[in-house]
Amino acid sequence: MQMQQLAMQGAGMEVVYAFVIIICSLMVYISTRELYRLTSHKGIRYFRMAFLFFAIAYFVRSIIKFIIINFNLRAVMDFHIRSIGPITLFFFMYFSSMAIFYLLYSVKWRDFKDKMIYLFHGISVVIAGVILLIPSNTVYLIINILLLAIFAFVILTSRKQEQSRKKKNSLHVVYILLSVFWILNILDILIPNIVKTYQTLIYLASLFIFLLILYKVLRKTGAD
Amino acid sequence: MTKRSRLEVLRDILKIISENRGLINLTPLLRKSNLSSQRFYEYLEDMKSKGFIIGRSDGRSGKKISITEKGNRYLEKYSSIMAFIEEFDL
Repeated sequence: MQMQQLAMQGAGMEVVYAFVIIICSLMVYISTRELYRLTSHKGIRYFRMAFLFFAIAYFVRSIIKFIIINFNLRAVMDFHIRSIGPITLFFFMYFSSMAIFYLLYSVKWRDFKDKMIYLFHGISVVIAGVILLIPSNTVYLIINILLLAIFAFVILTSRKQEQSRKKKNSLHVVYILLSVFWILNILDILIPNIVKTYQTLIYLASLFIFLLILYKVLRKTGAD
Repeated sequence: MTKRSRLEVLRDILKIISENRGLINLTPLLRKSNLSSQRFYEYLEDMKSKGFIIGRSDGRSGKKISITEKGNRYLEKYSSIMAFIEEFDL
């Protein structure tokens, strides 16, 4: 009975967490619609896509969390859960990777060719496939650390170029924090016990980052 | 002088039309835009397809260009657009 209560509390926290992040991401997507409609600016397009994919990924993540919580409660893995689980995991990894790649693309689109985005879609499908086919914590860790390293490298080199042009942009730090906590969110799904002790802290930090980005977006877009 | 970005050129052209009470002949617009004729017509087509301007043929004074509501909206939002692009390094 107590276990059930704890699980219910956990599920409640997950629902609130996912709901706030999904709403933040969708608000970023919607509030930048007019800017994109007026400019057709590629950077704005990829930025919006990143947050749309974050919203979808968090939605899929909450489905997986729901399955995990229920699975722990019942200690039974019936046929439906067994088939739904891998499919949602595949989509979760695909949308997660693409959200990170879109964010990267929004900053570096001038240096990338247009077709590069298809390559990113391909890489995301491969990542999702590998995670699904090779159930190993080491593989999960390597893939996610690699993803984070690539993102941080590109953002930091972009920041270096910018500093040389004597511009200040603190948002790169926010982007890197966003990707770090996003990777921790992914690992929380793939290896459930790895961040359990710090789970609440990770959730709070992730919420803070998404709310900060939303605040900056609403302030700049005029939010009308 | 640095090269103007695409968004700046759009703003400049729309501003010229707007400052001319929203309606201007093609020739003075080309002259005031500081663009080569080829680039000017490329931008003009882009702006027409976006619905920022409308071209009208006037029998006596040739082709006239007028700014639309969407074009005016772009001018209104221009500083927000640029601030957003700069803030998020897009």
